[in-house]
Amino acid sequence: MRYMLGVVALMVVVATVNLSYAATEEPGEYLDRRTEIWNLFFRMMVVAFTIGAVVSGTLIWLIWRFRESHPKAKPTKYEGVDW
Amino acid sequence: MGEHSNWPEWVYIGVVVALLCWVGAEAWNVERLVEHIPEDAKTIKVVGQQWFWTFEHEDGTKEIGELHLETGKAYRFEITSTDVIHSFNIHDYVVLLDAVPGRVNTVWFAPTEAGVYDIQCREYCGLIHYNMRGTLYVEDPT
Repeated sequence: MRYMLGVVALMVVVATVNLSYAATEEPGEYLDRRTEIWNLFFRMMVVAFTIGAVVSGTLIWLIWRFRESHPKAKPTKYEGVDW
Repeated sequence: MGEHSNWPEWVYIGVVVALLCWVGAEAWNVERLVEHIPEDAKTIKVVGQQWFWTFEHEDGTKEIGELHLETGKAYRFEITSTDVIHSFNIHDYVVLLDAVPGRVNTVWFAPTEAGVYDIQCREYCGLIHYNMRGTLYVEDPT
């Protein structure tokens, strides 16, 4: 339960911090929508590719490390003792 | 399973939720900035119909198939359609908004560089949709 509360608190904090930063950028006249939209796209792509690299890297490491033939592989209790 | 630790899952959920909040806030803020129309923007009425664009300036001047604007000024397009749904697009300035019959949609931009740019329909609107084009002439103020 306290984990859940922690996650909810984190959501509120992150959203508030973002909005307060955003509020400092008042809408300016004659902004270049090409720049704004491209910059947004660029930031989103940085996040997307970073997450993609972390997730796929984790999966690759997980599969490599926990294969049966790994030198440090140990049977879990779910697999019984016939290893 | 009593001593099983699931903190990595909670960290993962926290990171995902934080990222989603950040993505939402960034997108919301950029949308807010881009949609804020300057008060001195000149209004241009844009009418799409099969298969050409008509433009009407504030002083009543009308243009068909071409539009003359000046650099350094902001323009607000009030876009509508007389028949089917079209989509008004100036690709080089990232202007894109649907032209819907019975409805006026608004978008603005401020051209920065003199030149000749394409205007095109970006919603399939019938046989000659592919050629529903116009030309935007951006000139320096005289």
